[in-house]
Amino acid sequence: MKVALLSESPADEAALRVLVESALGERPQFVAAGLRARGWPNVAQLLPAVIRHLHFQTDADALAVVVDSDDSVVHTEEHERPDYFHPQCRMCGLRAVFRRTVKKLPPAHGRQRVLRGVGVAVPAVEAWYLCGRDDGVTEGAWVEGQRRGRLPYTRAELKWRVYGTDRPSLPHEIRCALQEVERHRRDARRLEADFPGFGALAREVRGWRQDNS
Amino acid sequence: MIASIAFRNFKALRNTSLRLAPFNLLIGPNGSGKTSLIQSLLHLRGLAKLPVDETARSGKSGHPEIVFKFAAPHDKVAARMGCVSDFVCDLLQVTPAGTAQWKSLRDDLVRTRSYLFDHYAMAMPAARDSGAVLAGNGGNLAAVLAHMEARHPGAFAALVGECVRILPEFAGIELTGGPQVSLVMQLTDGGRVPAENLSQGTLYALGVLGLAFDPMPPGILCIEEIDRGIHPRLLREVRDALYRLSYPQSFGLAQRPVQIIATTHSPYLLDLFRDHPEEIVLANKRGTEAQFERLADRPDIAELLREGSLGDMWFSGILGGVPEER
Repeated sequence: MKVALLSESPADEAALRVLVESALGERPQFVAAGLRARGWPNVAQLLPAVIRHLHFQTDADALAVVVDSDDSVVHTEEHERPDYFHPQCRMCGLRAVFRRTVKKLPPAHGRQRVLRGVGVAVPAVEAWYLCGRDDGVTEGAWVEGQRRGRLPYTRAELKWRVYGTDRPSLPHEIRCALQEVERHRRDARRLEADFPGFGALAREVRGWRQDNS
Repeated sequence: MIASIAFRNFKALRNTSLRLAPFNLLIGPNGSGKTSLIQSLLHLRGLAKLPVDETARSGKSGHPEIVFKFAAPHDKVAARMGCVSDFVCDLLQVTPAGTAQWKSLRDDLVRTRSYLFDHYAMAMPAARDSGAVLAGNGGNLAAVLAHMEARHPGAFAALVGECVRILPEFAGIELTGGPQVSLVMQLTDGGRVPAENLSQGTLYALGVLGLAFDPMPPGILCIEEIDRGIHPRLLREVRDALYRLSYPQSFGLAQRPVQIIATTHSPYLLDLFRDHPEEIVLANKRGTEAQFERLADRPDIAELLREGSLGDMWFSGILGGVPEER
């Protein structure tokens, strides 16, 4: 299976490769390496062009994209209802962009469309890295903090916990990211349970093999 | 480290002040005082080399005047600089006068360095014995690297390691020649590229690395247009190289922090400061007068950061720091 990744940095891409491989249960062939977006809302603006590029110019079977939720509305079960769309939810937003874009594309390279994998790290990818190491860091804790108006941690605190500084160099960031996601390489169930924003990505990635057969 | 600078009648900086952080990235339209701020530090460096004027005379009314305050352990010291014109500053008064604090501070201030790289100069061979300090235009880059290789091989090896990581087409740096030393980059395929055939961006990146890995860095470092010639995706590396100087503890280094004042016109570079808006200084120009504003002082900054990237917001004009239009 040929998979493309859209990420914000080489560190995110390195970690996402491991997580996609874990969810897929096999090592995919990563194509169109180094596709980058400059954070939100740039990811959403760029996504249609990335999808069209992959569809027509490459033989990629699937695209995985992960964004940080930052302070946006977190995706919930309620958002999964048919025809539901929350305008402030990044998961709903990216899925809608995917839907709108692939709908207009004719088949190319022997496939109907590029398959979708969307994940949202709440509030940032460093929270995923802490899963299994810091029990207080979960998507539920963040959502509860939003509800109570008192967030359990900040993005800067998460960076400190992962990197030991809020100004990590890129090589240090990559090293830490790979070290942390190694825990989830063989079994990502804990990450799926604690972070439904990853669980949604993992389910879509698992579905690729079926969609691709 | 300088804590703040207050300007009166200095070029476009008629009446403005600025708190300085360990790392400061100045953005704003052309002619908005970014370079003037750096020039004020160079005037201070020049006057700090001279005996302090201990008389009570004051600068002439309406003439340029700049007041510097300093961070701990020099926080009791203030330096007032008077100028006869925008180009000639001839008065430096320090309060309290004659203190030991000023003496140690002065030793730092006279080592202040300022850079505006010139890739033509950087590509030229340089006198081998001129390599102790990188020249303001980077003109003696080859000599500086040769000096580092000879006197500080550990720092040189680290610089080469970082260089080949950032620019993976290269395998090493070679410094050739006798009294005149030349820079040659070794390619991973065994080829060699003399400095005059290197790209502008490669030479600038080498200049930044030369500063970042300098074993004896200055206390204050000014760099103009740090994004110049560098691919947007490599700007993170430029920022990190400079962070290495300003926040050495974040890189596991025990050296003293260097205060950095840098300028840019790149929205892509600005994007990289989303988590640290306190490091961004906006220069706003209205007519012929410019004012500084620290981005983190905006009351709506948290809300703005939720809405989108800093670079896009700067370009849009929401943040200020854009050219006036007729």
